[in-house]
Amino acid sequence: MPSIDKAIEDITGVRSDLEAALDPAEPDGVYRDSRECAALALLSADTKLLLSPPTPRPKKG
Amino acid sequence: MEQSGTSALLQGAVQDIASDVVSALRGGDHVRMSGTGAMDDVEGSLTLAAVRVLGADLLLPHVLFPTPPAPEALAVFRRTVEAFPPRPDAAPTVKWSHWAMSRTLRRLDTSLAGTPAGDQPPEQDAGWLDEATWQVLTHQLAVLAPLAVPGADCAVARAAQRRPVDVARGFVRAVRRRDWQQAAGAGRWLTLIDGVPETLGLETGLDFVELMGGNDPRVALQVQAARVVRAAGALV
Repeated sequence: MPSIDKAIEDITGVRSDLEAALDPAEPDGVYRDSRECAALALLSADTKLLLSPPTPRPKKG
Repeated sequence: MEQSGTSALLQGAVQDIASDVVSALRGGDHVRMSGTGAMDDVEGSLTLAAVRVLGADLLLPHVLFPTPPAPEALAVFRRTVEAFPPRPDAAPTVKWSHWAMSRTLRRLDTSLAGTPAGDQPPEQDAGWLDEATWQVLTHQLAVLAPLAVPGADCAVARAAQRRPVDVARGFVRAVRRRDWQQAAGAGRWLTLIDGVPETLGLETGLDFVELMGGNDPRVALQVQAARVVRAAGALV
């Protein structure tokens, strides 16, 4: 399919972006704050889900 | 992280197509593939690349309901499978996502019956999942969520089936990390496998993932897929 290949090559870097999208590294975690914990508590009021305090974060310095 | 221009374009195209799939999953309609005219120009090639990223999920509504896909959607899907074969040294997720597309194409494209392209594609090795930590297992399964389809056996699905507690732990970890895409993908797998701890509260967890991450069509797609699978009677 040369026409497709040529068009794809016309987009600089799309193939490398494609590889990255198909085999992505895990992103850095972003942990919940207390406001979101409260929302979760409301959502899971009659269940038992996932409710836990925010993960301690290392302090700088 | 700063994105390149093409990366942002590609991600935008993926999200547009994922939105179409979510609409089809919610409404039981065809995947529309809006804005996919000529496939030989640059924009068309970007669409093919976006379809490759979305993978077999492009035609998921037609697998789950099941209905025949629109001819234009099937044609785009077929061209994508042909245009992006995995390299021999590609990562397992790249090979498996292409395998999933080939399997879906074989299932839905009746014109392939009796041709070599209609044959069962050989499975890739999934041994890396058995050796993976539960964190890596969940991440890889979430990337390969298009393989989480009822009644569609493969080595990746069997690996997930062998480790329900690990996938459940990974689901909780993903929620706590606010990695909604991983959480949604893991949640989709959890709707399919036996032995998931009831204390997980999967249904509420999926609601929460949708609430927090549902603005991303790729997250919404996984959550909606999980709901359709559950409604169809899969184990939870």
